[in-house]
Amino acid sequence: MTWGPFLLRRVVAFVPSLAALSVLVFGATELLPGDAVSAVAGPSATEAERAAVRERLGLDRDPVTRYLEWAGGALRGDLGTGYTGGRSVTELIADRLPNSLLLAGLALAVALPASVALGLLAGARAGRRADRAVSTGVLLVAGLPEFVLAALLLWLLAARTGLLPQVSLVPLGGTPLDAPEILVLPVLTLAVSGVAVGTRLVRSASAEVAASPWVEAARLRGITGPRLAARHVLPGALAPAAQALGLMTGALVGGAVVVETVFGYPGIGLELQQAVAHRDIPLVQGIALVLCAVTLATVLLADVAARALDPRRGSPR
Amino acid sequence: MRRPSPDPRGSGGPGVLTWCCAAVCLLVLSVALLGPLLASGSPTEQVGPPLAAPGAGHPLGTDVLGRDVAARVLHGGWVVLVLAVGATTLATLLGAGGGLWLGLAAEHGGEWVMRAVDVLAVFPPLLLMLLLATGAPDSDAAVLVAVGLAATPFSLRVVRAATRRVAATGYVVTARARGDGWPAVVRHDVLPNVAGTVLADAGIRFVAAVHLTATAGFLGLGRGAPSANWGRMIRENLPGAPLNPLPVLVPAALLAAFAVAVNLLADRLAEHLADPDITRSGA
Repeated sequence: MTWGPFLLRRVVAFVPSLAALSVLVFGATELLPGDAVSAVAGPSATEAERAAVRERLGLDRDPVTRYLEWAGGALRGDLGTGYTGGRSVTELIADRLPNSLLLAGLALAVALPASVALGLLAGARAGRRADRAVSTGVLLVAGLPEFVLAALLLWLLAARTGLLPQVSLVPLGGTPLDAPEILVLPVLTLAVSGVAVGTRLVRSASAEVAASPWVEAARLRGITGPRLAARHVLPGALAPAAQALGLMTGALVGGAVVVETVFGYPGIGLELQQAVAHRDIPLVQGIALVLCAVTLATVLLADVAARALDPRRGSPR
Repeated sequence: MRRPSPDPRGSGGPGVLTWCCAAVCLLVLSVALLGPLLASGSPTEQVGPPLAAPGAGHPLGTDVLGRDVAARVLHGGWVVLVLAVGATTLATLLGAGGGLWLGLAAEHGGEWVMRAVDVLAVFPPLLLMLLLATGAPDSDAAVLVAVGLAATPFSLRVVRAATRRVAATGYVVTARARGDGWPAVVRHDVLPNVAGTVLADAGIRFVAAVHLTATAGFLGLGRGAPSANWGRMIRENLPGAPLNPLPVLVPAALLAAFAVAVNLLADRLAEHLADPDITRSGA
C-alpha cells in the first residue's frame, strides 16, 4: 500500500472515533445523577430557583438535542460558556493548551532519546547484567504513581533545599518560557515516568529484533557492540516502539493532569481538574473533547511514524 | 520463529527480590486493612496545633489541620486498596466475559465490537475517571466503575486472543460436535486453558488500578474531605511539608512501596505464566 491510501484510511478512521468519544464525553457528564443545576443554583435553592436555572442553562430540553447542538458548536469552534466566571470555553482552551503542549513536548524531548538509549542497551543484550539492571530499575520507577514521584521531587528539590520554585508562577501576560525555572520540576517528573514506560517498550522491541536471524548473521560477520546495536538492532526496533509509544499518550495525558495539579502549572490539565472540582460541565466537556482529539491525533502520528521508520516498507513480504 | 526476549532475570524459583516484594505487600496490606482496628484516636478530630512535630500521643505529629497523622495513616489506606481490588474484579469479570464471548461465539458482529473496544482503549483512563466524577460527585462507586471500565478494553483483548487460540486447537469443535452446550464447553474446555492468562492479566490491571485509585484520592475525587485517604493526605499536606514532612512522606512511602512491590510481583507472575498476549500497554 502506498502512502496516499494509507493516510486517507487513517484520517477517515479518525472522524468516527472522535465522534464516538464525543458521545461518551457528553453522556458521562450529562446522564449521570450529578445534576449541574445543584452545582450552579447552590444546595439551598428553592424548587422555583432550580427550575429557572435549568431553563437558563437549557437543561430542560432532551439530551439528544443538546448533544447535537454541542457537537455542532464544537465543529464551528464554539464549545459554549463555562458556568464559573462565564468565560468562553474555546478561548480558555486556546489560552492554556499551548502551555500544556510545551510541557509535554519538553518532557518528550528528554524522555525519547533516554528511552531509546536505555531500551537498546537492555534489549540488545537481553538477559545480561546491563539488561537486568535497566529492567529492574525501570520496573521500580514505573511502579511509582506520578503524583508520588512529583511530591517526592518537590519535597527533595524545592521544599527542603529551595533550589527550585515550588509553585509554577507564570509572569502576568507572559508564557512559562519567561520563567524557565518553573518548567524544571514538571518536565522532570513527566520525563522520568515517560522514560520508565518508554524504555520497557523499546527494550521488548529490541530484544525481539536482537533474536532475529539477520542480527545473528551480522554477529557472525563479526559486528558487535554499539555498531551492532545502532546499525542492525535499532532500525528494526524503532517502528514497533513508535507504535507502542503512541498508545501510551493516554498515560501522558493523565500524567499531565497530575503534574500540573501538583505544581500549579497553568495548563489544560490543571484547568480540567478545577473544572471537575467546580462541576463546570461545559468546561469539563470541552477540555475532555480536546484531550480526546489530541490523543487520537498522537496515535495517528505514531502510526505514520511507525510506517515511515519500518525498514520493510515497500518491499513485498 | 524463535522465541524472542529470553527472561532477563534467569529462570528458577522465586528470588530474594520476589520474597521481599511479597513481604512489603503483606506489610502495607496489613497496615491498610487492620489499621482502622488498631488506631486509637479519631482520624478527623483536631487534637493539636497544625503541623506539630512528633510528640507524646502523636507518634507522627499532626497534619495541616491539627489532626493526628498516625490515626489518619491507619484509616486512610483501605479505601485505596478496596477500590483497587473492586475495580480489578470488575475489569476482570467484564474482560473475561466479553473476551470469551468474542473469542468463541461472535463471528461478524465481533469485528465491530473490537473496533469499538479499540476506540475505548484510546480514551485516557484518568479522563474517564474525571468525567464520571463530574457526573457523580463525591462517590467512591464512580471511582471504582471508572477505574474498572478503563482497564476493561485491555483485559478483553488479552482474553479474546487467548480464547481464540484455544478455540483453534480443536477441543471446542470436538466438544461442540459431541453435543456439549456452550456453558459446558466454556467450563471444561476453555476456562482451564485461559485461566492462567486471566490471572496474569488481573495482576497487571491491579497495578494500574492502585495507581488510579490513589491518584483519585490525590485529585480529590471520591468520598469527600474529612475522611482519610493516603492520596488526599499527600495533597492536603504538601504545602506544609517544610514544617512537618511526615504527613506527606509516610503515605507517599506506603503507596510507593506497595505500588512498586505489586508491580514487580505482577511482572514475575506474568513471566511465570509466560503468555505472549499479555502486553504491558495498559499498565
